[in-house]
Amino acid sequence: MAAVLEFEEVSKHYGGWLSRRPPVRALDNFSLQVEAGEIFGFLGPNGAGKTTAIHLALGFMRANSGRGRMLGRPFGEARTRRRVGFLAENVALYHRPALHLVQFYGALNGMGGTRLRQRARDVLELVNLGSDAERNVAAFSRGMLQRIGLAQALVNDPELLILDEPTSALDPIARVVIRELLLRLKREGKTVFLSSHLLSEVELVCDRVGVMHQGRLARLGKTADLLHSREQTQVVARGIAAGAFPGAVASDGVVSFIIATASQRQVLEQIWKLGGEVVSVNPLKRSLEQIFLEVTQARGEGA
Amino acid sequence: MKPVWLIAGNFVREQRWPIVILLGWVALLSAAAGFSDLRRSPDDVFMMFQQVAVYILVFSLFFGASAIRNELRTRRILAVLSKGISRRQYIAGLLLGIVTAVVVYCLALGAAGSWVLPQAGVPAARFWFLLLGLLTASLLTACLALFFSIFLHPLLATGATMVSVGVPLLLAAVWKSPWAAVIPVYAILQGFLDLSGHDVALRGWMVLLAWGETGVLWLASAWLFSWKDVAVAVE
Repeated sequence: MAAVLEFEEVSKHYGGWLSRRPPVRALDNFSLQVEAGEIFGFLGPNGAGKTTAIHLALGFMRANSGRGRMLGRPFGEARTRRRVGFLAENVALYHRPALHLVQFYGALNGMGGTRLRQRARDVLELVNLGSDAERNVAAFSRGMLQRIGLAQALVNDPELLILDEPTSALDPIARVVIRELLLRLKREGKTVFLSSHLLSEVELVCDRVGVMHQGRLARLGKTADLLHSREQTQVVARGIAAGAFPGAVASDGVVSFIIATASQRQVLEQIWKLGGEVVSVNPLKRSLEQIFLEVTQARGEGA
Repeated sequence: MKPVWLIAGNFVREQRWPIVILLGWVALLSAAAGFSDLRRSPDDVFMMFQQVAVYILVFSLFFGASAIRNELRTRRILAVLSKGISRRQYIAGLLLGIVTAVVVYCLALGAAGSWVLPQAGVPAARFWFLLLGLLTASLLTACLALFFSIFLHPLLATGATMVSVGVPLLLAAVWKSPWAAVIPVYAILQGFLDLSGHDVALRGWMVLLAWGETGVLWLASAWLFSWKDVAVAVE
């Protein structure tokens, strides 16, 4: 598959001898490829470099070294941005009626006429703001602002949608709406680059996930692969004593415990020798939160 | 060109209250001049029009110095520059917005002057020509301020603009040389301030020079702005 967003050994640092701030290395030889048609989850703690990477892609700043391409063109080209939608972490928009606002941002992307008017109404409906189209966004709640921000990002029917924390201020119902919307965009062949702290959301919608830490990509893979451990397996057995295996827990007549995948065969034979019955053997399923903590803590200790 | 007009329109919309206040001031002063005994004392009428003319120059300075900073501070610039608009178009849009505000003001001033000044013995046609000079001087001032504001705080940008406009004037006064033509804001404005219409050829040449300098400053601002990190919050 073709990459729609590529970072090639990109480094970016802030501050320096002319700045009052101490130098900070926001991205350190960062490389990543986001493929067409996928929903990519971009995770990492605060200050990991996620927003910097997004801002570089959109041309808000320039990298100190390395290079990147968006939709096949170098970062920072205005013409490429016409095919991209972006929602910033802190939504800041002009104060005017919602419909006019969305039309304004659509027009900046070269849209116009009846098509723009219709599209603006459609995207407001998509984000459940159809009935608020004539209201000034100055009176909107934070959740509504985030949804109008999403509407302006979608107005040009983008091939690539870059979202920086799109659901952080949304209530559970609105989150479900946005989740459905992202999945619908994926079905339409769009690519979504989703930076988020809401790991459960990412787990539900993303095809692949990258975890950033201290300006580097610490973990990258398919969501399903990351969630299912290759190194550890969970075994559930019946008819054996809980003390037969270290760390085993008895509950509802079964005993469950975690083993190294490499020793799986040996453990199963041992269960049978003890007269037990194997109920299930599955790769250990971890939450994204566990992986996130594992990556950030391990790196933190190593640093 | 469409994005430039959109940015310009948006700028005027965002600055509508200062513009309305300026227009209100013009209306108030012209009403005072037109309906009172002031028309019998031309010097007072001149002074009044000189005063309101200088206001737009000062406002252009502040518009130019604060335009980018306001957008950076509110972070509204991110949603705009994430669209299909180049930095050069963005700067051109801001300048066009300032020009629109100045043109609206000059038209109001021109209308008021066409009504009041002939009563004080100044031909309206000459006044309209002088307004073109005022527009040019305001635009050059705004462009200078915008240029400095890309890398300086608005207050420092305002100071730097005032120095850039004032130093050639000072040099011209000391050495009686054509230094005033280097950045001819004051030289052009002088024509307006004395409402003389003298040296029309010289001032016409300076107006052209000022438009050329404005173009160069726009290009320089656009180039400089293309290197600016717009994502870093300014407080």
